[in-house]
Amino acid sequence: MKSLKNWLMLALLALSLGLSAQAMADKASKPFAEKRVVLQISDPNPFKQTLVLNVANNLLKHYGPDKVDIEIVAFGPGLRLLFADNANKGRIQRLVENGGVRFSACSNTIRNMGKKLGHPPVLNPNAVKVSAGVVRILDLVDQGYVLIKP
Amino acid sequence: MKNMTIKTSLTALTLAMGLGAAQQASAANWLMLQGTEPAGSAPRAKLWGFVQAQYQKDFSDSFGAGEVYIPPKLIGPNLETQDQFNVNRARIGVRGSNFPLDSKTNYFVLIEMGRNGITNHGDAFAKVTDASVTFNHIPGARVRVGLFKNPGPEEGLQAIHVFDYINFTTVTNQLMLERYPVTGYTNAPAQSIPGADFNKIGNSVGAFRDTGIQVFDTFKSGSWETAYAVKIGNGSGLEITDNDNNKDVYLYLSTEKVYGGKGGRREGWKFFAWSQSGKRIDPNNTANEYDRKRYGVGTKYLKKPFRISAEYMKGKGMIFQGPHRPGHMFNDLEASGWYVEGGWYIPKTKLEIDLRYDSYTREENHPTSVAGDESRYKTATIGMQYHFNKKTRLNMEYSNRNYESDTTAVNNQYEGVKGRFAIQVTAIF
Repeated sequence: MKSLKNWLMLALLALSLGLSAQAMADKASKPFAEKRVVLQISDPNPFKQTLVLNVANNLLKHYGPDKVDIEIVAFGPGLRLLFADNANKGRIQRLVENGGVRFSACSNTIRNMGKKLGHPPVLNPNAVKVSAGVVRILDLVDQGYVLIKP
Repeated sequence: MKNMTIKTSLTALTLAMGLGAAQQASAANWLMLQGTEPAGSAPRAKLWGFVQAQYQKDFSDSFGAGEVYIPPKLIGPNLETQDQFNVNRARIGVRGSNFPLDSKTNYFVLIEMGRNGITNHGDAFAKVTDASVTFNHIPGARVRVGLFKNPGPEEGLQAIHVFDYINFTTVTNQLMLERYPVTGYTNAPAQSIPGADFNKIGNSVGAFRDTGIQVFDTFKSGSWETAYAVKIGNGSGLEITDNDNNKDVYLYLSTEKVYGGKGGRREGWKFFAWSQSGKRIDPNNTANEYDRKRYGVGTKYLKKPFRISAEYMKGKGMIFQGPHRPGHMFNDLEASGWYVEGGWYIPKTKLEIDLRYDSYTREENHPTSVAGDESRYKTATIGMQYHFNKKTRLNMEYSNRNYESDTTAVNNQYEGVKGRFAIQVTAIF
């Protein structure tokens, strides 16, 4: 019984360390950032794709790449932004290279879209899969990120 | 000539395919703007369209004691009066990516409800002008099927709602805007107004469109974009179905130095060449078959505040002789023409000044005149555009026309052809 209790404590500690490490990793990419923003894209309207990229670009221009930390989380119909052939792929690449913007893709959406397509969608190489887009947003908010849904 | 054309076309095609190794471009020219959607960011169905309302007045004089007129002296499409208001275009369409998760297919549907050469015949309330599906599965070889614009002259291929003038040049109107007479057609003489009946063609104008299949794509190399298209169609314009076993072949190649911007008014310097070839059967005598061949080369420069474009076109066979003389358009005559035009966007204003000069030479060989007779049409147009906003504008233009013919009877009428004033509002939604 004592052994089980120890194992549970160890597991909790590991989970806690893991989450802390992830949080540190999120923030470590921009250690001097004064603003931390998570942008949500979940809308089927293609104009929203342009809008969310514009917002990211404007934040970078205003604060400077080192002073603002931006992650764009795509889920639901908004995941199309992170399809490999998306017309905005050039803009995405520039935001990554010049502004250090991170892009997260919801695994639940990828799985559901894969069922409709008959194969998993091919994603932009800059997209990082997360277990669930909405969970990722909540985690980032817990870390102090401000959620903006353009 | 035929072998040379094929050889030239193949060279052009090979060049275009060779450039396939370069990076593919996004929508940036008429082929791409009309035939594709932006990957991953196109709506399932985008409703769009435009309205053009106009007034035109013709200052031409009648001829002879009977005060008779010919079509160039009257306002179309009805050709019954010398001045009238008209809603000449009212188009509504839907386009998009029918299954948004898959960017490899897209569609385009457009319906005309205004009154022009498309709808005037048979008093149609509306007519489908475009209905196509594009497959983007093969890199460098997109495939578009259905009814859509033919690769060809700039005036015909471009989106009409961004056309910088109200009326087409004579060479485009007569040589490229094909008419399709129906069985039982008759010719009409010069007539007095009111009560004139000049529209003897029977079917809609071709509207620079045909039903068929097209392979096309655009390739980017630095700031240059090269596009090609090969289309095979019925050769029946908007009538959709075919009336013979002949198929038309359309070839197009363009290359453009892109300066910036996007859409129909993207800035760049484009060079293009095209050819169209097919056969037509005289519906009143189906044993008679005629070649229809058209070629053209042109350039367009746009970098605000200036725009300059020019194009030369040549044709053989099926040379149009007027809407009142369908029987004479089944011929093997030759014709050629050109235009040069320019625009100046007056800085810090919403005004634009346009100037155009076009020339068309038509050789006639119809039964009532001497073989080898020639007619010449020269038109100078000055225009102005006022851009209320990006989607709404006012066009105004005055054309000074100088027509002449070696055939005395025709020339007598042409001497009375004078200027024409037109004003038009365009609203795009």
